[in-house]
Amino acid sequence: MDRVLIIDDDIELCQLLAARMSGEGFEIDAVHDGPRGLERALSREHSLVVLDLMLPGMGGLDVLRRVREQSPIPVLILTARGEDIDRILGLEIGADDYLPKPFNPRELIARIRAILRRSVRLAAGTHPLIVGDLRLDPASREARLQGQLISITSVEFALLEMLMQHAGRIVTREELTEVVLGRKLGPFDRVIDVHVSNIRKKLGTSQGVERIKAIRGSGYLFVLRAEPK
Amino acid sequence: MKLTMQSLFLKIFFWFWATAFATGIAVVITFILGPGGVPSRWHSSLIDTARSSGRIALAELERGGAPAASSYIESLERDSQLRACLFDVNGNPIAGKGCQTFADMRSRVATTRSPEFAVKYGLVRVAQILPGSGGRDYIFATELPAGPRAAFGMDRAAVLLRLAVALSVSGFICYLLTLYITGPILRLRQAAQQLAGGMLSTRAAASIERRGDELGALGRDFNTMAARIEELISRQRQLIFDISHELRSPLARLNVALDLAREGKAGDLPFNHMESDLVRLNEMIGRLLTIARLDTAAVPVEMTSVNLTDLVRQIVDDAGFEAQKRNVAVIMAAPEYCYARGNAELVHSAIENIVRNAIRYTEAATSVDVSLGPDDKSNVLLVIRDHGKGVPGNDLERIFQPFYRVAEARDRESGGIGLGLAIADRVIRIHGGTIRAENAHPPGLKISIKLPAAELTSAR
Repeated sequence: MDRVLIIDDDIELCQLLAARMSGEGFEIDAVHDGPRGLERALSREHSLVVLDLMLPGMGGLDVLRRVREQSPIPVLILTARGEDIDRILGLEIGADDYLPKPFNPRELIARIRAILRRSVRLAAGTHPLIVGDLRLDPASREARLQGQLISITSVEFALLEMLMQHAGRIVTREELTEVVLGRKLGPFDRVIDVHVSNIRKKLGTSQGVERIKAIRGSGYLFVLRAEPK
Repeated sequence: MKLTMQSLFLKIFFWFWATAFATGIAVVITFILGPGGVPSRWHSSLIDTARSSGRIALAELERGGAPAASSYIESLERDSQLRACLFDVNGNPIAGKGCQTFADMRSRVATTRSPEFAVKYGLVRVAQILPGSGGRDYIFATELPAGPRAAFGMDRAAVLLRLAVALSVSGFICYLLTLYITGPILRLRQAAQQLAGGMLSTRAAASIERRGDELGALGRDFNTMAARIEELISRQRQLIFDISHELRSPLARLNVALDLAREGKAGDLPFNHMESDLVRLNEMIGRLLTIARLDTAAVPVEMTSVNLTDLVRQIVDDAGFEAQKRNVAVIMAAPEYCYARGNAELVHSAIENIVRNAIRYTEAATSVDVSLGPDDKSNVLLVIRDHGKGVPGNDLERIFQPFYRVAEARDRESGGIGLGLAIADRVIRIHGGTIRAENAHPPGLKISIKLPAAELTSAR
């Protein structure tokens, strides 16, 4: 049974969600303020965190930032529709996906399942992926750049894995969204782009060239070097 | 500052200048025409001046004869613009030019034996008897410019120059005066325009407020008004914003509660209705929020170059399913690629709202015509036309207001929300474009959107 932590100040909503999701095989742990939420999120008792960005006291973005400093636990953020800036900021800080509020609970459950499935699948893979100076190990969920361990969230890991499996070929944004986030690409959906930009920042350039190349209008490509070092 | 003949600046400036100029002309005219053009207290001094010149002429005559006197009078004329004539007592000219012009005065002096004085056309003439050394009397007549002529001189070029100087000096002073009066008005007008344009924090400059005159009072009143408007509008917007946010929480709970209740009973009709109404409510709140956000314009909208052709084609394709249900064809005509400067997401929602609206209101088995093309050098034109009943003429402007409905009953059944066009209107306006609705023939509603074109960036 997966334990999911919900950090939302709407107590009734949390109760309803707990009732709804227990029927789906989830155990819900609800916290209604930022500091306690942060503490619980770092307790390693949960497989996933659902975080409302509109929190009293410590805001949701701050909670997320502090969680990311210490833990790669998957985080799904809830945002009010229309607050694009918060949404993008949340993804940049390291949230895995977002859902606008109010949401259909079925949608929420589907997203949570997609993220969890990815974590499980990652653990199941055994063969390390090596492209150039970058090495991904699905068994230990570690990414090493020139032998140095880099901190990477699970969604970033999945994205990088997908791109490296198809290194040298274009992977469309639709494919990436479906495989990595487990859903269809929506109009003006920039989640994948934010994640790619986060990965780029972590990887840096290789001899002045971005490792992941954006192909305008279609998708992304992991650059294969003609003569690997 | 745009200057037209209608502008207050030019009106005030020219009236001031004309007044100054007319006053100057009037002074000159009274000087020339007035009988007392030269005050009488000047008479004696003028006569004294003439007498001393006459004595010298006389001395020259006695020393070197008529030629010497002539050369003295010529030098006098050259140096001081003083024309003179020396006669003997019988009236025969001895020295000087044009002596016959003094004939009248000379004969009068000969009879009265007292100095004669006359002013005409700005010239002063003096004639008097001067006793010579040998007991003989001579008559010395002079003519000199007085009044304005004395001031301006007789030279035409000099007169023009002085006129030009007078004009430009008075013009400059009038300019400063006018600027002093109209400057604050213009600045106040700019402030009013900015306020009307949505910059609610605009206030009249402190320099206007400090003025003690009526313009200062106007500036202070303007600022009071602006502050009041700003407060009212921001309060209203905050209210909409808060309401929208507060409505979302119960809606989020309702969503979960409903889903909880219908567990295992999927496809139950009342639940389906409740769910679709929840979706509709949420959509409406979202749109209200969008309107509130666009109206506040607190967050600047990120603008890029948008491929309008691709964007419209996408909308037309997406609308195909809905259109098929009503047996409506959406026909798009876009002969070339058009790019507009804007926020793709907002423009998408604006155009989508209009296209969906057109599909909803066009008669079944007709078409919705979408055409896109360059309007002129700097704009692109998008026209969306349906074949429905159109809108009553006097309602054409109002269809862009929130919650406006043409036909109440029909709208409900077709699922209209009444916010789509209001959003489209605001989106187009923050992009610096225009949106216009008109009734077409044969009947139907035609909505024309003009958006500022963007330069072609990369190929796609």
